[in-house]
Formats: sequence, structure tokens, C-alpha cells
Amino acid sequence: MSHPKTPHVVDARYMEPPEPFTKTMEMLDTLKEGEKMLLLLFREPHPLYRVLKQNGHAYEVELVADGTFEILIWP
Amino acid sequence: MQALLSFDKAPPFAAPLRFFLTAPFFALLAGLLLVWEGPSLLVSRWTPGTLAATHLLTIGFMLQIMLGALIQVLPVVAGVNIAHPLTVSRWLHGGLSIGTLLLAAGFQFGEPDALAMAAIILGLTITGFLMVVAPPLFRVSSTSPTIRGLKFAMLGLVGTIALGVVLALALAWGWSIPLLALADLHAAWGLGAWGGLLLAAMAYVVVPMFQLTPGYQARLSWWFPVLFFACVGFWSVAVLFELPLLAILAQVVASLLGLTFCIVTLRLQSQRRRARPDATYRYWQLGLSCAIFALFSALTVTLWPAVKDSNEWPLLFGILLITGGFLSFIVGMLYKIVPFLAWLHLQNLGESKVPAPAMNKILAEAAMQKQMACHGLAVVLVMGAVFAPEWLARPAGFAFVVANVFLIWNLAGAVHRYRQHALLIARKLAAL
Repeated sequence: MSHPKTPHVVDARYMEPPEPFTKTMEMLDTLKEGEKMLLLLFREPHPLYRVLKQNGHAYEVELVADGTFEILIWP
Repeated sequence: MQALLSFDKAPPFAAPLRFFLTAPFFALLAGLLLVWEGPSLLVSRWTPGTLAATHLLTIGFMLQIMLGALIQVLPVVAGVNIAHPLTVSRWLHGGLSIGTLLLAAGFQFGEPDALAMAAIILGLTITGFLMVVAPPLFRVSSTSPTIRGLKFAMLGLVGTIALGVVLALALAWGWSIPLLALADLHAAWGLGAWGGLLLAAMAYVVVPMFQLTPGYQARLSWWFPVLFFACVGFWSVAVLFELPLLAILAQVVASLLGLTFCIVTLRLQSQRRRARPDATYRYWQLGLSCAIFALFSALTVTLWPAVKDSNEWPLLFGILLITGGFLSFIVGMLYKIVPFLAWLHLQNLGESKVPAPAMNKILAEAAMQKQMACHGLAVVLVMGAVFAPEWLARPAGFAFVVANVFLIWNLAGAVHRYRQHALLIARKLAAL
């Protein structure tokens, strides 16, 4: 799945926990210099935010009309 | 579930568990009161026994679990960390339990001193909770409808407890205030601005996560809390300044907003991707159906003055919303949270060397479904008892007692199995 923001997307909206977390961490490991990834969820993943901050990643969040949180993450 | 209740920053199991295990005993007491009092409990919502039973359910059951669960989930749904969760839980649990028993005794036996003591203990306990939880919550920015909803719900709790304390002290010390109008407002703040908004804020997260449904539309979930809160605010202004038309308008809009939320949630659940309906799903379906009927009955009472003076309709509204609605939502969520917390703590005990048992080994689906059937029957009987109290009041009370004994059995069984597995894991780790 691709998205205008980035081709690297984890669409976790219908996944059962902890799959969104593990899929995100796996994709972060595959990103190259300057690349960004997008996580799609129907909630804000505060525990993931804490891990991202601890690992020095940056992220920005946008809530779109259908209730999806688009979380753009980069190393 | 892991995203909702991650071990990272999770309080100890004992923190929320004390609330979850104690709350059904208060519902059990309410059932026993109905068995004891019989038809007289359903004569009007103003009888001493009815007021006692209502507060056993709303504070003893609902508020216990709501505040206990908030301590557990605030770090995960809002990124808000509470300092010393175990100490906060102990004080909160003690204050709520003693305060509720005193309040119920004060109503039931007409004891002004018990009422005044209850008002002071509950007022101080909930103020203490708010002083611990509100500052960190209001410091985080409202990046999601859940955080925004939680902030409005906290304001709702402030309004509820302020009105409740004033009403209890007025009853105890004979102050001259418009008791009936303020009691209606107290109920609106408690069941709407606090309970309803807290439920909506949590539903935005748990409905898509538990049932794998689509999310709530952003515009609806963003504006629902502020519009609903505004309605309760206008209703309060209308009571203070005696503006009956404004009160009716606020009540109608609040009921329509509540109906919209329930119907949207039902629609989302109909689009779920989890094929098999579990106890949580069924409990939510029951809760939403009862809440829809309750809100229609509230609209009828508001718009049809002849009905307003009857005893049955306001009672039916309260029974539908509290026992059919809130109790169903809450038990449905408990059935997800308790097995998951047990599993999470066992997994942590196993240190990745000894696996935790599956969640259905902690609490079996069949036991939850059977308990739900008892609860459903109790709700139907209590509703029937409003119209045929002589025939149905005591059977309804008995059914309610059975449903809550079953709930205690299920929850205590889950904790017992958790302890057994914890011992087993410790032995296996020692043998490695």
C-alpha cells in the first residue's frame, strides 16, 4: 500500500495488538537515510510514541475525516 | 489490547483490581435491597430505598470501576502518567467504599449524620483524585477526541460531585434549596457530562480495537463532547435562572446527541471484522439498545408533560440507562480488561522464558456469556417490575443478586487462576 505522504505504509487499522507495534518497529528497521514511514490507526498509540522518543525518532500526527490517525515517522 | 494496556508505565495489578473486585458487591447490595424492600422500592425515584440503591450502583459500582480503570488506562489512551498509582488507588478505593456505604445507609435509614459524613468523605476523596489526575491530564494537548472527551468528562465529574455534596448536606442539615430540580441536574451531570462523556471518550478507542470496526468520524467524535457538555451547561443555567424553555431545549438536544452516539456505535459494530460475537460485543449491544430506549423515554418525558408527573417513566429511564446501559458497558469492558491484565502481568513474570497461558484460560468465554444472560434477565425483570411491582420486584431483585454473585465468581476465579499460574511460572523459572 502506498500513500501520498510516503510509499512506506503500515495500515494497522484492522490489526489486533500487538501487531501494529511490531509491524511499525520492523518497517523502521528497513528505512534508508531520509526515508519516512506512515502508520495508520484508529487511535493514538501513546506507548509507541514513548518508544519512538526513547529511540530518537521523530513523528507528526494528523487526524483525518474518517477517524484515522496518520502518524508519519522518520529516523 | 497491548496498545491499550501496555506494560510500559502500567500500574501494579493490585491498583485497578481492588476496584473491579469490590464494585460487584455494591451492585449485590442494591439487589438485596430490592429483595428486602420489594415493591415499595419502585413506588417513586424519591423513596429512601430507591435513592440508596441508585447510589450503590452509580458510586459503588460505576464510579469505582470508572476511576479504577482510568488509573490503569490514562498512560495508554492519553499519555498521562499518574504519580504513585498504588497509593492513589488505596485512598480512592477506601474513600469511595466507606462513603458509598454511609450514603446508602443515610438514605435508607434517614440518618442525617451518615448523609453528612458521606458527603464530606466522598467530596474529599473525589477532590483528591481530581487533584492528582486533572493537572497532568490538562497539561497534555488535546491531540485526539479521546483526550478532549476525557477533559470534559473530568469537568463533568466536578459538577456531579459539587451538586451531590450540596444536595446531601441540604438533606442532612435542612437547607432550603430546590431539591428536585437540583437532583435532576445532579443526575444529568453524573450520567451525562461525566458518565456519558467518559464512555464516549473510551469508546473512540475500545470499539474499533475490541471489535475491529471502522473508526468514529473525526468531526463527530471531536464535537460530541463539547456540544453535549454545552447542553448540560445550558440546562444548569436554565435551572438557576428559571428558564423552562431553555431547559427543555437543552434536554432535547442532549438526548438527540446521545442517540446519535449510540446509533453511530451500533452501525460501526455492524461493520466489525471480528466474525465471532464475544461477551464484550454482546454486552455493548445490550447496553446500546437499553441506552437508546432510555434516551427515547427521556425525550418522551421532556416533550409530554403529562408523562413527566408519572412515577413509572422517570424510573424506567433510570433503570434502562444505569442497569441496562452503563452496567452492561462496564461489565463488557471488565471482561476484556481483567483477563488481559492477568495475562500481561504473567507474561512479565515469565521474563520471556516461560510463556503466559492464553487469556481464555484465565476467564472462559462460556462463563462470561452465561453471566451476561443472567444480567440480561435481571434487567428485563427490573424493567417489568416498574409496571408490575407486586409481581416482579422481588424476583427482579433476586435475579440481580444472582447476576452479581456470578460476576464476583467469574472475576474472583480469574484472579485465583492468575495466582495459580504466577506460582507455576515462579517454580518453572526456578527450575531453569
